[in-house]
Amino acid sequence: MTAELKEPVYLEEKLKDIQDSGRLDFRSGSLPTWCPGCGYYSMTEGVTNSLNELGLKNENVVCVSGIGCASRFPFFVDVYGFHTLHGRTLPVATGIKTANDDLTVVVVGGDGDGFAIGGGHIPHAAKRNVDITYLLFDNGIYGLTKGQTSPTSSMGFKTSTTPYENREQPLKPLMMVLSYGASWVGQAYAGHQHHLAGMIKKAIAHRGFSYLHILSPCVTFDKTDMTYQNMNMAVRPLPEDHDSSDQMAAMIEAGKTDAPGLGVLFEEIRPTLSDNLDAIATSAGADIKAKTAQAAE
Amino acid sequence: MSSAPHLVIIGNGVAGNRAAEILREKDKDCRISIISAGPLLFYNRYELPDVFKGRQDWRDYLENPPEYFSDNNITLRRRSIVADVDTERRKLVLAHREEVGFDQLLVATGGAGYLPERLQETASLTHQFTTYRSAMKMYKALPKGGRVVMLGGDMIGLDLARTLIETGYQVTVVPGDRTFWPHEISAEDRPKYLAALETMGIEVINHGEVERIEDTSGGATARRVVFVSGETVSADVVVTQYGLAPMVDFMSTAGVDIERGLLVNPQLKTTRDEIYAAGDVCQIWEQESNGYRFYYGWRNVRKMGEISARNMMGADVPFETEVDEQLIIKDDGSIDSPFWEYSA
Amino acid sequence: MTINGTDLQIAFCGSAGDGTIAVGDILKQAMAMAGYRVIAFDQYPAEIRGFGKCVSRTRVTGEQVYSMKQQTDILVSLDDSHAIPHASEVRDFGAVIYDNAPMSLMMEGEHISGHLQPGQIPYALPIREISERATGSNRGRNMVALGFVAGLYGLQQDVFHTIIARKFKTKPAAVTKDNTAAFDAGFDLGAGEFLFDEVSIGAPPAKAKHEARMLSGNSAVVEGCLDAGIEAYFGYPITPATTIMERLVTEMPKRGKRALQTEDEISAIAATIGAGYAGVRSATATSGPGLALMAEMLGLSVMAEVPSVIFVSQRGGPSTGMPTKTEQSDLNLAVFGGSGDAQRIVLAPTNVEGCWRCAGKAFEMAERYQTPVIVLLDLYLSNRYETVIVSPDERFEASSSKAMVPAKSGEKYQRFAKTDDGISPRAIPGQAGGIHTVTGLEHNDLGRPSDQANIHMDMSEKRHNKLSKAVDHPGITITKRFGDEGDVEVGILAWGSTFGESLEAMMLARDEGIKCAAMKVVMMSPLPEQPISEFMDSANEVLLPELNYEGQFAGIVSGTLGRPVNRLNMVPGTPMRVDDILNEIRRLAGREAKDAA
Repeated sequence: MTAELKEPVYLEEKLKDIQDSGRLDFRSGSLPTWCPGCGYYSMTEGVTNSLNELGLKNENVVCVSGIGCASRFPFFVDVYGFHTLHGRTLPVATGIKTANDDLTVVVVGGDGDGFAIGGGHIPHAAKRNVDITYLLFDNGIYGLTKGQTSPTSSMGFKTSTTPYENREQPLKPLMMVLSYGASWVGQAYAGHQHHLAGMIKKAIAHRGFSYLHILSPCVTFDKTDMTYQNMNMAVRPLPEDHDSSDQMAAMIEAGKTDAPGLGVLFEEIRPTLSDNLDAIATSAGADIKAKTAQAAE
Repeated sequence: MSSAPHLVIIGNGVAGNRAAEILREKDKDCRISIISAGPLLFYNRYELPDVFKGRQDWRDYLENPPEYFSDNNITLRRRSIVADVDTERRKLVLAHREEVGFDQLLVATGGAGYLPERLQETASLTHQFTTYRSAMKMYKALPKGGRVVMLGGDMIGLDLARTLIETGYQVTVVPGDRTFWPHEISAEDRPKYLAALETMGIEVINHGEVERIEDTSGGATARRVVFVSGETVSADVVVTQYGLAPMVDFMSTAGVDIERGLLVNPQLKTTRDEIYAAGDVCQIWEQESNGYRFYYGWRNVRKMGEISARNMMGADVPFETEVDEQLIIKDDGSIDSPFWEYSA
Repeated sequence: MTINGTDLQIAFCGSAGDGTIAVGDILKQAMAMAGYRVIAFDQYPAEIRGFGKCVSRTRVTGEQVYSMKQQTDILVSLDDSHAIPHASEVRDFGAVIYDNAPMSLMMEGEHISGHLQPGQIPYALPIREISERATGSNRGRNMVALGFVAGLYGLQQDVFHTIIARKFKTKPAAVTKDNTAAFDAGFDLGAGEFLFDEVSIGAPPAKAKHEARMLSGNSAVVEGCLDAGIEAYFGYPITPATTIMERLVTEMPKRGKRALQTEDEISAIAATIGAGYAGVRSATATSGPGLALMAEMLGLSVMAEVPSVIFVSQRGGPSTGMPTKTEQSDLNLAVFGGSGDAQRIVLAPTNVEGCWRCAGKAFEMAERYQTPVIVLLDLYLSNRYETVIVSPDERFEASSSKAMVPAKSGEKYQRFAKTDDGISPRAIPGQAGGIHTVTGLEHNDLGRPSDQANIHMDMSEKRHNKLSKAVDHPGITITKRFGDEGDVEVGILAWGSTFGESLEAMMLARDEGIKCAAMKVVMMSPLPEQPISEFMDSANEVLLPELNYEGQFAGIVSGTLGRPVNRLNMVPGTPMRVDDILNEIRRLAGREAKDAA
């Protein structure tokens, strides 16, 4: 950062810029209900920006949420939305994508929804390489239900359900997802909003199952552990020479949870679930091209 | 397996079933099994000529309904042939390779239709009238009003013959040594009885010994009997009726004395204490003639079933016949025999 | 029950390795080809491999029947140790066919000949030896036995040749040759045997107007799905529903459709609902334990008004229960399972044809009423085979959706708008102007979450009322009365596979002079109250037989209609015996019960 004096920003101009950019086209009329300072604001901004920049039509996007602070995310984005059940976002999203390949499916959820109750679904969405984007918001706590321990709560953390302290080792979601075979794995931080927006765009643009781990402090129920203050000091960009095609290198970076590396840990291009289902249909004798052509008419 | 004694009866005829009835009467708890080669329940063979009178449902011939056997707890093993009797181990070996233990055994297998050796080769061309199945087979082979040539002509066959005449068929008897069996007819009496048959409407021909049977199906009649003399007789059906031969082969290693039939004392016990015999299969010791003899006919056989059962249960009753075995010529010139007497 | 013309039930019984099921399959295919109506039910061992007992029962009739007979006409033993317990099923003067020259020496009581009832007719033949003579191997024993049955009872030899050739067409030619040779050897012997049975095969009925298909309950479900244009299927294996998935994952790709095995039942229904939300016809299939896992998702399907179709083949419960045994104890779960007031449609077919129809109609209804539709089968119905003859004119609607009419500009699309019939026009993702979010939260017309009292009350009523139209859904008979008209002594109310045995018992009771009628109920939810109520009015006593312990449907009926029924409940794991129902009818009619034959 240089100390150079910046041009003044006038609110009217800024607003016009924003309106002209089309970013607001993906905002719904509903106002978010998150706590002031919550990382979900950054995420909403990142999603609406990315959808806009990717040139998608609102009606061709579906946002799927489960239960948690992310529940109401779909209501704040002007796309089709499905607010599902606790932990079941990925199978619902798989159904939606399987039914209609033309839809862009974005799944949002927290660490509890994803790695506690929904932990059984991530490996399968990853191994199938369902072409959806999974934005996982990790705040290390259950926020919506007012501060209980989560699968990623740190050791020693006191919550309403671990009043003495959490003695369980936190999960390492990135290592898990890498080993599950996700074809795009990245990490971002809600405190670095622009980087986050860029990562969301990359994740959505990826053809296959993309998992974006978003570190996001819970400003209400975590005053001691994963705070913006602490996180600002801990996060770092991935090394410049990190090879995102190297799964083992990605594993090593994913293991560094004390100094989370931000960026794309791993990416590969391989057939998606839909590709494979089409290949199966073709080998069963169906004329998939005819079907696609018909659908396009 | 219950510890109650197992009483096994081989044979599902009059003797065996009468014995089973008495055994059950005397002992409610013993196990009783009847082993039968045939597929059916105990039925009345004496009425089988009725098949030609239109009575063709085999169930009409049953002596007892199926429930009788369940109600009396009598196990009936049909289509089961005894291959061997292991007296030392008290086990029967059935032809299907199952062993069945017994405490006491009653052999009441009766007799099989005897077929002279020279006719055995063409057995498939001739009929026998011994079982319901054979009766139906013959019935089906015989066109309405058709001609039956009966070789031999034992009393079972002659009983059939008179029904056939009555129901509009033609019957020709080719007599031989076993005609009128089991009656023993002297040479001088034979013409008289053969003449009586003709009175009854039965044709009797005497071309001497039969040489062979020929299959002439496709022609006017299905069979031709060729005599050694060169003469021939055409027939729709040829039936052999040369009397019965006791069925005792399976007893050959059982350790009991056998002549033609199983030899038994007047109490119907064989030479082994646990094995009895009754019916056409046994030869009973007769003090007067100092020899063993057969007793035939429904009444004798039934009596034997009863006596054997009582003795198996510890009694000591000798068999005595009440049948006068005389073949008679009635006033109308037809013959009649105590062996044709049957009462349910 | 008197059937016009032919009515023969043939059972093959043997070990898993004896070809018992295969030979039963050939029999039913051949008889169907010959033009008879066939209903067949096979029982398999629970063990994966080994020597468990297999029983294959086939009933061949001249007209359509709804159940297996309680008594078998012909029992074939391919393994005496397994067949002996079934010997008592054979009626008087029926045939028991067995090998009289087995390989090894047997202890007393090990051979079936010692276990026949006095009235049964034994047919003994050296099955193994005949097979060895005909084919050089004992592997044709099953075919020898089948041939013998066919010869003995006068079944048509040529249709068997056709079916044998068809069955083995992918195998080397020698396989067809050997099987045919074994069949023929048995046939010749059987044809030469004397048939003591009064019953034999009659001429097949007049040729049906339409093609007869031989389908199991599960395969009929598959055909129904395909005929209704299923686009997506998601499932997780579970006995006895697995064969639905196995066939769909084979058949759907051929049509360019997508079928997927998911990681569990929750994912299966979640994906089904996801696909339903995305606007395609989608389904899953499971059994009771799987349905228990799906219960929460059913609630979502109700609340979000997203169509979903769930096939449930019931087995013995609770918990893992008896996976290879039949039962009707998941009715409460199907009708009520889940949290909150979650009304849904539940259809329970009573025969294989009904499985086909209910499957197709389930998609129409799910789409029309924007709701989950459960089609409730049971193991007996899933696994039994019947000839199904349906007119090709009978088709399912390609789309039953009440589609969104694009909103006027400036108006916001109301996904849950109030309408006269309670059904809100539906937009699907990809449609411009229809953007909305569905949610498991209570919501207003727009779909926005709300916990206001009036909204929850209005929406609860809407979700309830829209289903009431389902009882008038076209093309499906949801209740039907059989037997005597007018007032009756006993009225039997039955559902699912037990209806077949109930109908048989009702006919027998009528033969005995008892005035009675039977009603099948196919729609279990919403309950067709009016016809059931009228039926109950006409009966002095109402009998409700079902294969569960507490009387689940009886509870629903008497609870809903406020009147008592006589319950007949049992959980033997096997279909209910006709005699048990008949005796209950006799008792209710004031007649003396009789011993089961």
